[in-house]
Amino acid sequence: MDKKRIMIVDDDPAILRLLSTNLKARGYEIVTATDGEESLEAVQKEFVDLIILDLMMPKVDGVEVCRRVREWSDVPIIILSARGDENDKVKCLELGADDYLTKPFGIAELMARIKTAFRHRGDPSVAPAQSSFTYNGMEINFAKRRVTVDGKDVTLTPTEYSLLQHLAVNSDKVLTHSMLLQSVWGNEYSSEKEYLRVFVGRLRRKLEPDPKNPRYIQTIPGVGYHLAAIK
Amino acid sequence: MKVKETILVVDDDRDFLDIIRRILGYKGYTVETVSSADEAISCLKAHFHNVAILDISLPDANGTELLPKIMGMHPDIIAIMLTGHSSVQNAVQSLNSGAFAYLEKPVDPENLLSVINRGLERQRLMLENRRLLQELERHNRVANTLLSVSQAVAQSLDLQKIIDAALEKVAESTGLEVSFVYLTKNDRLQIAGHRGLSPMIVDKLPKEADKQSGTIGGIYSQGKPIVIEKLSKDGGEDLDFLRQGGYFSFAGVPLMIVGESIGILGVATSFTRYFSPTNNELLLGIGREIAIAVRNAQLYEEASSSKALRELDTMRTEFLANVSHELRTPLAVIKGSANSLLQPDVIFDEETRREFLVSIDKDADTLTRLVDDLLMMSRLEADALEVNRKPRAVLDLFDLVKDRLEGLTVKHRLRITVPDSIPPVAADDIRIGEVLTNLVDNAVKFSEDNTTIKIEAHPNLKEIIISVADEGIGILPELQEKVFERFFQGKNGRKGSRRKGTGLGLAICRGIVEAHGGKIWVESKPGKGTKFSFSLPAA
Repeated sequence: MDKKRIMIVDDDPAILRLLSTNLKARGYEIVTATDGEESLEAVQKEFVDLIILDLMMPKVDGVEVCRRVREWSDVPIIILSARGDENDKVKCLELGADDYLTKPFGIAELMARIKTAFRHRGDPSVAPAQSSFTYNGMEINFAKRRVTVDGKDVTLTPTEYSLLQHLAVNSDKVLTHSMLLQSVWGNEYSSEKEYLRVFVGRLRRKLEPDPKNPRYIQTIPGVGYHLAAIK
Repeated sequence: MKVKETILVVDDDRDFLDIIRRILGYKGYTVETVSSADEAISCLKAHFHNVAILDISLPDANGTELLPKIMGMHPDIIAIMLTGHSSVQNAVQSLNSGAFAYLEKPVDPENLLSVINRGLERQRLMLENRRLLQELERHNRVANTLLSVSQAVAQSLDLQKIIDAALEKVAESTGLEVSFVYLTKNDRLQIAGHRGLSPMIVDKLPKEADKQSGTIGGIYSQGKPIVIEKLSKDGGEDLDFLRQGGYFSFAGVPLMIVGESIGILGVATSFTRYFSPTNNELLLGIGREIAIAVRNAQLYEEASSSKALRELDTMRTEFLANVSHELRTPLAVIKGSANSLLQPDVIFDEETRREFLVSIDKDADTLTRLVDDLLMMSRLEADALEVNRKPRAVLDLFDLVKDRLEGLTVKHRLRITVPDSIPPVAADDIRIGEVLTNLVDNAVKFSEDNTTIKIEAHPNLKEIIISVADEGIGILPELQEKVFERFFQGKNGRKGSRRKGTGLGLAICRGIVEAHGGKIWVESKPGKGTKFSFSLPAA
C-alpha cells in the first residue's frame, strides 16, 4: 500500500519539526508549509491525503485556508488551534474542517484523529451489505460512494459521507447523539455534540432543497437524529 | 399714601422763609429752610430734595455760584432762582446752568406754586424715562448674561468644565460671592462644583444632599426657586456651611430640563436684600442654560463611556485569546516533545531524542519569558514595580545588554552612538536593559533584514534621551499613541516573525520609564522607519 501523504501547516518551526518527526516515524510522507498562502499553493501542486492546519498564521489564516480548500477539495482537514475557544471550533467545522484539536495535545490523540479521518475516506470493511439506499428523491450508491438528489450529484467530504451512510443504513431507527458520534467518529468523540450538530447542518445544506424544513435528516430534540420519516 | 415732595428753600430773609414755609406746607409739601449756601449744601448732602428754591444773593455766596454745585450733587433737582429786579441778568444766566425757572421778588405765591408744579411734572417725566431706560438696560444685561453663560457652557462636553464655566459666569454677572451646583446621581444630590468658598468652608459643604428634605432638596423636589433673605432666621440645616462662612442671604434655583429637575444652582452673599426679582429671573435663566449643557454632557459621557468599556472589553478578550495562544504554543511543543518520547509504538534514534529535549528546553525558556512579562505587567498595573535607581554611565547600560541586542540583530546592522561627554543617568540598569531589548526586538520585527538599527543617546537639559531607530515599515500616525497601550498588537509584522507578542512589550517599557520619572514617545513615518525615544533623569 502506498504511503499516505500528510501536509502540515504551522508557522511555528518547533511544531512543524515535532509533527514531521512523529508522523514520519509512523510511516507517513510529509509536506510542510509555514503559512496559509504557501499551503494553498502546495495543496494545488501536489496531492495530499490529509491536511493538519494551524489556525493562527500570518497572511492567510487557517480558517481562510480551510474555506478555500473546501471550494474544490474534500481532503480531510484537522485543525490545530492554540486558542481554546468553542466559537472557533464550531466556525472551523462549519467551514468544512473534519476535526479540531486544541494545543497542547498528546501524540497518541493526534494519531487517533488522523486514523478516524482516514477511516471516513472509505475503508471497505465499513461498507454496508446493501448496495444502495433510495428515499424521496435521494439515492446513495454505497459501492461507488456516490450521492444524488433528484438525479443531481452531491459532493460530500469523507466525514459527511460517513455520517450520511450511517444514518441511511440505520434509517429504521432513531440514532442518539452518542451512538452517532461513537460509530462515525470513534469512542473518544462521544461527548462532542458540537461535531454532530455542525455536520448534520453541513449535510442538510448540501442535500436538502430547504435546509430549514429538512425532508431527509430529522432532528429528535434531546435525543438524536434519523433519516426519513419513521412510520 | 402718596409721599409728598420735599422742597428746600434757601434765603437770608427770615420773614420770607416763614411765609414760604407756611404756604408750601399748607399745600402738603415737606419744606426745609436754610439761610446760607453752606447750610444748603449740607442739607442736600443729607438727602434728596425734589425742588430747591434759591435766592440769588446769599450772605456767604452768590446763588449763581451755588447752583452748579447743587446740580452736580442732584442732576434731577428742580432749581428755582429768586431774584431782585437788579439781578435779572444773573437769573437768566442761571437758566443756562440748569435752573428750571426764575422768579422776581416779591414773589407771587400763586405763581410760585404753579412753577413748582410744572417743575415737579417735568421731574416725574424725567425720572420715569430714566426708570424705563434702566429697565431696558437690565433686560439687556439679563439677555447678555444668559447668552454669555450659554456660550460658556456650550464650549465643552466635559461636565466639570461646564459647571466651572457656569459658576464663573454667575459670579461675573451677578456679583454674588458664592455659587454652587448639586446634580442628581444615584438617587442623591451630589456636589458637582462650587466657587468662592474658603477652603475651610468647603470642608463643611455637604458632598451629598437628600432629594426631598432641607432647603436644597426642597428646591429640587418642588422645582421652584427659593430666596432666603436672612440665613440667620430661615433655611435648612443643609445651609449651615453658609452661616458658618458668614453669608447673609441665599437664593437657589432648580436646574430644569423639560419639566424635570436634574439638580440645583445655589448662590449666597454677605450683603442683605440682594435678590431683586431681576436677579432671580437671571438665576432661573442661568439654571436653564446649565441644565441643558449638563444634560448634553451627561448623555455624551454615557455614550462615550459605554463605548470605552466596550473597547476595553474587546481588548481584554483579545488579550486573553492572545495570551492563551502564546502560552499554548510553547506548551504544545513541550507536551508534544515529551509525549513523543513516551510513546511505546516508536523508538526514536539518539539524535531525534536530543532534538526533542532541545525543543523542550527552548520552549520552557519562552514560557518563562512570557510569564515574566505577564507578572511585570500586573506589577505595573498595581503600581508595585520597584526600580533600583543608581548613577550609571550610559555606555554601561548598553554594555549590559550588548550580547542580547547583538543576538537579536544578527540579520541587521546595529549602530550604537554615545558621545563621550554624556553625564551619567539615575537608572535601574536591569530594567532599562529590558526596555532597550524590547525596543530593539520590535525594531527587528518590523524592519527588513540588512537594514540599520541605531541606538543613540544625547543629553537634554537635566535629562538624557535614549533612542532606538529603525528603517522599517513605520507606524500610522493614528496608531502612534496606541502602541503604548496594554494589549496593543502591531499588525503586518514582517514575514518570519514567528510569534505574535503578548501586546505588553511597549506598555511595560512605558511603565518602567515612567517609574524612573522619564517619558517615552515615538516618531514614525510609515514606510521610512520608526524612532522610539525615552528620557531618564541625569544622576
